[in-house]
Amino acid sequence: MANKKILLVDDSNTILMVEKMILASEPYRLVTAGNGAQAVETAAVERPDLILMDVVMPTMDGFAACRALRAREETRAIPVIMVTTRGEAGNVERGFESGCSEYITKPINGPELLAKIRNLLGD
Amino acid sequence: MKKPAAERTYVRKVQEGTRKYARDLMGENDRLRGLIAALESERVRLAERARSVEHILQELDLLRGAVSNLEREKLAVQVQLFAAREELESHRQERERLEQQVADVEKESRRFAEQYVHVEAQNTNLANLYVASYRLYGTLDRQEVLGAIQEIVVNLIGSEELGVYELEPEEATLRLVASVGIDPTAHDRVAVGAGRIGRVAATGEPDIGGGAEVAARAVETDLSACIPLKLDGRVIGAIALFRLLPQKNGFESVDRELFDLLGTHAATALYCTRLQERLEARTRA
Repeated sequence: MANKKILLVDDSNTILMVEKMILASEPYRLVTAGNGAQAVETAAVERPDLILMDVVMPTMDGFAACRALRAREETRAIPVIMVTTRGEAGNVERGFESGCSEYITKPINGPELLAKIRNLLGD
Repeated sequence: MKKPAAERTYVRKVQEGTRKYARDLMGENDRLRGLIAALESERVRLAERARSVEHILQELDLLRGAVSNLEREKLAVQVQLFAAREELESHRQERERLEQQVADVEKESRRFAEQYVHVEAQNTNLANLYVASYRLYGTLDRQEVLGAIQEIVVNLIGSEELGVYELEPEEATLRLVASVGIDPTAHDRVAVGAGRIGRVAATGEPDIGGGAEVAARAVETDLSACIPLKLDGRVIGAIALFRLLPQKNGFESVDRELFDLLGTHAATALYCTRLQERLEARTRA
């Protein structure tokens, strides 16, 4: 069975590197995108099993990108974990309204992130 | 010729006697017949009774045999019951042993799971430290280094209100060279020795608070942390974290390691960018 594919979306190289290193110990194939618009296009082509996406990004933020993913037939069912800087209720609510499946807050807690990914991927 | 009267009387007597005798014989005969019939009936009854008793005795023998068989069976069942009890006890002991083994395995599994989570957490910490170091030394461009410092503080430590200061030795002041989430004009310059940031620059000692409290606004007295940037033991700047993110409940050991890393490596990286700028300026000249 092929390894599951995860799309990492963040405009910060620091966060992308950290996410890659945390996920390096797991059998996932990783692809990256630098903003929301790029994430929507990459997701349509790559068809990842899960998307890990930052909220605050240039061009298209995470909420708008999540709505765009939900609007497209080929990406509608892909689970999205939103990476938020602020875990306040309003922010989390906006994330779920946009269609995200889960959220985590920065700084990223490795075990928490891995647990949520495994849960959504059914591992 | 007529018989004499005495003879006739005698004959009559004899006839009567004979008749009476015959009647008596008949009566006796009837009585004896009845007696014979009664005896025959009694004989038949006794014979039937004898057969009945014999039957009862046969039944009794059969019952005795059955009782004997039942007793043998009872004994066999008792033996089986005893064996079954022993087997049950053996199974109970085996079950207890297996339950204990399961409990031990579950305990061990939990211990491994905890260790795994601990290793994952350590992996994250190492990833943070590696990425911070990599980002600081990934470029000689000053703005990129300052951007990397800000990204490290925002994303890896968890503060969206921070200032990066550099020392201007001639003026004995710290000058704000990069910031996130604070009013740059209000924090533009800090005299060495003045306030918490100035004291960090003067002493070279970090000032790390609990970080859990959330101040109403970014003011120096409510700093979450201020760390000196040191090169060869000399302070060349400072990083001030005014407030932590709401979900951040204080500093952890990895934050302190990131502070140590930033204190030396960010200072070195910034120093290298200055050298690069001077080199480029000299090359242009």
